[in-house]
Amino acid sequence: MSVIETNALTKTYNGKGGISDVTLSVGEGIIYGFLGPNGSGKSTFVRTLLGLLQPTSGEGYILGEPIGTTKSREQVGYLPELFRYPDWLTGRQLLESHAELCKIPVRQRKKRIEEVVELVGMTGRENGRISGFSKGMSQRIGLACAILNDPKVVFLDEPTSALDPIGRKDVRDLMVYLRDQGKTVFLNSHLLYEVESVCDHVSIVHQGDMVAQGPWRELMVTEAKVEVVTDQPITVPMPAFVTEYQHKNERDRTRMIFQLENESDIPNIIHYLSSHQTPIYEVKPITPHLEDVFLYWVNQKKENMYVDNQ
Amino acid sequence: MWTISKLTFKEMISKKIFLITIIMTFVFLALYGTAIYFAAKESANAAGAIQGTEAILMQKFFASQLLGVGLYFSSFITALLAILSSVSAISGEVASHQIDTWLMRPISRAQFVLGKFIGLVILMMVYAGSLFFGIVLLHQGIGGEWMALDFQPMQLIKAVSVFVIQPFVLIAFGILLSTRMTTLNAGIVCIILYGASFIGGFIEQLGAVIDKANLVNIGIVTSLIFPVDSMYRKMTVFLFETSDNPLSIAQGGMFTSISSPSNVMVWYAVLYGVIGVVVSIYIFKKRDV
Ligand SMILES: Nc1ncnc2c1ncn2[C@@H]1O[C@H](COP(=O)(O)OP(=O)(O)OP(=O)(O)O)[C@@H](O)[C@H]1O
Ligand SMILES: [Mg+2]
Repeated sequence: MSVIETNALTKTYNGKGGISDVTLSVGEGIIYGFLGPNGSGKSTFVRTLLGLLQPTSGEGYILGEPIGTTKSREQVGYLPELFRYPDWLTGRQLLESHAELCKIPVRQRKKRIEEVVELVGMTGRENGRISGFSKGMSQRIGLACAILNDPKVVFLDEPTSALDPIGRKDVRDLMVYLRDQGKTVFLNSHLLYEVESVCDHVSIVHQGDMVAQGPWRELMVTEAKVEVVTDQPITVPMPAFVTEYQHKNERDRTRMIFQLENESDIPNIIHYLSSHQTPIYEVKPITPHLEDVFLYWVNQKKENMYVDNQ
Repeated sequence: MWTISKLTFKEMISKKIFLITIIMTFVFLALYGTAIYFAAKESANAAGAIQGTEAILMQKFFASQLLGVGLYFSSFITALLAILSSVSAISGEVASHQIDTWLMRPISRAQFVLGKFIGLVILMMVYAGSLFFGIVLLHQGIGGEWMALDFQPMQLIKAVSVFVIQPFVLIAFGILLSTRMTTLNAGIVCIILYGASFIGGFIEQLGAVIDKANLVNIGIVTSLIFPVDSMYRKMTVFLFETSDNPLSIAQGGMFTSISSPSNVMVWYAVLYGVIGVVVSIYIFKKRDV
């Protein structure tokens, strides 16, 4: 059974903005990346799933329950992108209130709160008032809140926006930990590297449209580029699978960038160079810029539409 | 739902404004007590010259006016607090996005609105009730024999019950506005309606004194639109009028009531509040946050 399922789900604000016509199905026990530039409709989508926004059309289900019902939110956690919590509460009081709303039995509350506080690295600081929390601390307490009820599915909307590099790594580890426990994590992000390192499956959204979805590796390899550092300009003729190349001389090194037909051509080019006695100092695959990936899939979608219309 | 009520209640109490309100309330009560003390002393001296029925009439008039003025201001303070606390109840949380994490929990929109309403109403009703008894006790206690009015326990209970309907109606109405409007707009609308209700009530009293049905009708219409001032009037009727007391009419004046709202009006006000909450829930169910 899919944990999240939508069918042509659309939410627009008086006909403008928002996100349209999203059909997807998210399986159990994976980290699902929802990737798109600013204003592409990621937050709108998640907020619609959680019943905060009324869908304009289409339908959606969480754990088989139609969105908007209280039942659909029973086993769900959420960290909003604008995480604001009542600042007159202490971190612990906030978690206690949420535990009450989630109907966590009184006797388990204390223990569970300590667990989640530990998981987000806030131990010892949870008794402070939220008004005295830094932005990063607020985001951490928000994360604690999101996983408090041991939810089957967690929506994280840009969960690392306020965190330092260590915090980012903590969140990554947390997501992997949740996945290993069989939970589903739905991650909204515009940061390619964030999605890259943890997501099993991604969707790419652009200007309110879903342009692509699939396993991470397949989507990101829109082009195969590799950077090779040698100590002299290459003079040998290029094999056919190199579609384009450029070189840059730097003191005693030459930096070559090869554009290849396929990712599998990367070992081929290395093999080719070394068999022609070119000394290789460094090999680095070039991951495409997020923008390029977006543009690639946006164009791809347009082409497909063109084909469809024929 | 109770969690939301508890949170609302706690939030109000934890805010600095609450402490200030409590302190200012005590200042107000202290001032009122002082005023009563001196008024009682002076009046007792002055009244020494007059004798008989006239003296009793005058005593009753003064005493009821003084108690009336105390209660009027209490009702005014309560109304302002009720308005200020309710107009931001929903809109404030929506604007700050604090509402997101509450509403994503398995609670319905109806439970959220009801929770807010109950939290605020309990707090404000307790406040209004305490203020009512504070004023009455000060008046009866400090005012001494000369100032004290005879009240049956039943009269006091009826009066305070009507007195707390006012915050009930105002909070229901404030929450209703706050499900649709921004805090500031809702506050302005509420205060203007409250003012209109006050003026309507005043015109109604005036109409009753000079016996002009038109004026009385204006008052009735305003209290139908916004049944707040009429609850204050009804409270004074319960407090000052007993059917077997021929003198009660003579106790009229600015702060008591000559034209008395009917009992139906009380039920109307309660229904008004209940409908306000129901409509709030209905509106809020469909709203994007
Ligand atoms: N309340 C609103 N009223 C009108 N338009 C809105 C509203 N909220 C969002 N939009 C529009 O909907 C589109 C999608 O916004 P959304 O916040 O979902 O984007 P996002 O992908 O989450 O962006 P970001 O990465 O900046 O968080 C934007 O074009 C935005 O202008
Ligand atoms: Mg967003």
